[in-house]
Amino acid sequence: MTPPAVRFEGVSKRFPGVVALSDVTLDIARGSCHALCGENGAGKSTLGKMLAGIHAPDTGRMFVNGAEVRFTSPRDALAAGVGMVHQELSLCENMSVAENLCLSDIPRRGGFVAGEAMEQRAREMLALIGADLDVSQRVGELPIARRQIVQIAAAVGSGARVLVFDEPTSSLSQADAERLYELIARLRGDGVTCIYVSHRMPEVFHLCDTITVLRDGAVVGTKSAAELDESAVVQMMIGRALGVNAVREGVRGGEERLRVEGLTAPGKFEDVSFSLHAGEIVGLAGLVGAGRSEIAAALFGLDRHSQGHIYIDGKDVDIRTPAHAIRLGLGLVPEDRKRQALVPLETSVRNASLAVLTRLTRLTWVRRRAERTMVDEYFRRLRVKPAAAAAPIASLSGGTQQKVVLARWLAAQSRVLILDEPTRGVDVGAKAEIHALIAEVAASGTAVLLISSELPELLALSMRIFTVRGGRIVGRLERSEASEESLLRQMAGIA
Amino acid sequence: MRDYARRLAGSQETGLVAVLFAATMALTLLAGSHLDRASGISINNFWNSHTLVQTATDASFFAIMAIGATMVIIAGGIDLSVGSIYALSGVGMALALRGTAPASGGAALATGLTTALGIGLLCGFLNGVLVVGLRVHPFIITLGTMWILRGIAFVATKAESILVPASLTSITKASLGLGGGLFPVPMLAMLALALIGTIYLARTVMGRHIFAFGGNPEASRYAGLSPARIQIGVFVVSGLTAGLAAFLGASFYGSASSGDAQGYELYVIASAVVGGASLTGGKGSALGATLGALLIVLIRQSIRTLHFDQNYEWIVIGCAIIIAVVVDRWTMSMTQRRFNFGTGRSA
Ligand SMILES: Nc1ncnc2c1ncn2[C@@H]1O[C@H](COP(=O)(O)OP(=O)(O)OP(=O)(O)O)[C@@H](O)[C@H]1O
Ligand SMILES: [Mg+2]
Repeated sequence: MTPPAVRFEGVSKRFPGVVALSDVTLDIARGSCHALCGENGAGKSTLGKMLAGIHAPDTGRMFVNGAEVRFTSPRDALAAGVGMVHQELSLCENMSVAENLCLSDIPRRGGFVAGEAMEQRAREMLALIGADLDVSQRVGELPIARRQIVQIAAAVGSGARVLVFDEPTSSLSQADAERLYELIARLRGDGVTCIYVSHRMPEVFHLCDTITVLRDGAVVGTKSAAELDESAVVQMMIGRALGVNAVREGVRGGEERLRVEGLTAPGKFEDVSFSLHAGEIVGLAGLVGAGRSEIAAALFGLDRHSQGHIYIDGKDVDIRTPAHAIRLGLGLVPEDRKRQALVPLETSVRNASLAVLTRLTRLTWVRRRAERTMVDEYFRRLRVKPAAAAAPIASLSGGTQQKVVLARWLAAQSRVLILDEPTRGVDVGAKAEIHALIAEVAASGTAVLLISSELPELLALSMRIFTVRGGRIVGRLERSEASEESLLRQMAGIA
Repeated sequence: MRDYARRLAGSQETGLVAVLFAATMALTLLAGSHLDRASGISINNFWNSHTLVQTATDASFFAIMAIGATMVIIAGGIDLSVGSIYALSGVGMALALRGTAPASGGAALATGLTTALGIGLLCGFLNGVLVVGLRVHPFIITLGTMWILRGIAFVATKAESILVPASLTSITKASLGLGGGLFPVPMLAMLALALIGTIYLARTVMGRHIFAFGGNPEASRYAGLSPARIQIGVFVVSGLTAGLAAFLGASFYGSASSGDAQGYELYVIASAVVGGASLTGGKGSALGATLGALLIVLIRQSIRTLHFDQNYEWIVIGCAIIIAVVVDRWTMSMTQRRFNFGTGRSA
């Protein structure tokens, strides 16, 4: 019998204050696609990072192809044929796509960089995953979905025989995700072993043959995908069945909160007009790069070159800074939490209260107890573990970070709330809770603009759905008229 | 082609060269002239070979250090100890020369250069190892070594100034056929180092790693780069350039003391920053640092040439630093907008 491609034997890992993994024993069969499922903070990323040489296990042993390995750096893991697509984007934004792709092994002539060879290799790596990007472009100029593609290309192109994908599709468009599925199928055909972490159940069942569920750092069980269905996995993950959260209807016909007329930002979007009423959730569908996030940024005073009219509560306003936007009652949960939302070394509580501190002060003193009470309420509802509250946010799992950002803007009680991919990287249980919260916020009279690349999410929550393509609104559907298919057609521009 | 134009227009150096050029022109016009007694020809007070070479020589000592320090800054660190490394290397070399009393100029050159560079290398290595080993921010570590190293120089010399043999001075003060009291060696060394530094940063793999690490240390580590090697590497380079500057300085002026180069670290950092380095890492250039140093010295020189009150020097330099950085960012965003406009989206 051939040994498993990867074997974890009694692996444990603790971080200050938390046990991330305890006594995990797990075999990953060669050539399989093995899913890791679990709630936010269950330890999925930590397990992957051990295999990729970023963390060393405290106790226990790891085997790759039957041979015991002790990685002390990612370099060791790469040498042993293990690559990883990380959950958080980890690229050098000041450097080009080619440089990022070849970073671990820059082609050289003597000690010098062979520029042509590097670009050539980068193009080949991108071609390998069926992507087409300008390799000389600076990564910092790329939208988040393109950066994710760069990251996938870097891991796949390293020639690894074992690949860990940590929520690779959480910031990809549907089309790019499909291409990734094909890629994974192709890789498996070549005998590459994949470990796949995702909160999206349909893709887990589509791609993976074996599923391991983790809870609080321990293995709950490993089963073949054929023996399981979505609800069984969810039950294993959260230890109970997922209650059906009836999404409450918002109140239609509230007064107008936000009206946008002819909003234009040169090169980003053009002539965008719509209105948003109190109690209403309006969805923005579109492919990544269609201009949805740019519209959100302009509304929030982040684009100084936008023209057109914005009315809030009927008043023509000229929003120049986010501070101004917040004073007018706007809130924005941004797309890229790491860059646009988090203060990494501060605790979750302080991150969550950042936008409402003025409301919590008395003569510039922060009333710490009031702060804690307010934040705890949202943390409880978002199922953020109490231990996470006082921890620096950089040390928390990706999904937990997202919940904290959401808590920040829910706490701000904005009158117009813009949500840009609000459930990115959030586990299924919490996602249902977040959906319920969004509906509740709307029912209480807030106007919500929801940007999401997950069509089921848009369809479940929105009362109207606008489709953005090439920087223009190209479709407006009532919920009753909208379906995944009709939206996909509009998004892609197929009549 | 467009790519090239974009890079040229967007590069900090182009702007700096323009500013330097404009400043030189203005200074030449405003400087007035005097009659040369020997030949009876009217000579511009600034635009004459003597003042120009003198200005470049003044700049060369800390420009050389700025080239090394820029690499530390690109890697996301900072080196406050360069002035102290300069002092320690200078007195170390002077003491070694006094102890060995080399007979020939060649022997003096060999001994002087090895000790100065050796001490610089060791100090830089010490900085790097402390930063990596203790996991303390470079600002703190080099703030500490800044005092420690100068203290060692002070103790070693008992605060005396130590003479450097004249045979060595005659080498660094060689006229190389220019004659007329012109000493171009430090200036040439600066130019050579600017060239080497530029090639090193732009073309070598190690240079690329420095940029990557400064841009995103975590991503670099994930990509398998060795943070320790990069950090120690840049501090060693910074120490070496300080050692080289000390060698040139001490032999040029004929003596070394523990008080040399006091406050140079700020000139050095200012040069790097004016030259386009970002203190958050990931950005900067060797040529830029050199041009930055030249600009600072030019400002100093203009105050002298135009007979302004010397006391204003610091105020003017301070303003220049801030203006340079603001203008840099402004031109960057201008060029970016110009070239991104209308290219549309790729998705
Ligand atoms: N570098 C770190 N320092 C301290 N604690 C950490 C660190 N990395 C992870 N943890 C903790 O370890 C636990 C497991 O985190 P991990 O990132 O593996 O979760 P996850 O299963 O990937 O969750 P998600 O679905 O949200 O990505 C969490 O409690 C997290 O706070
Ligand atoms: Mg994770």
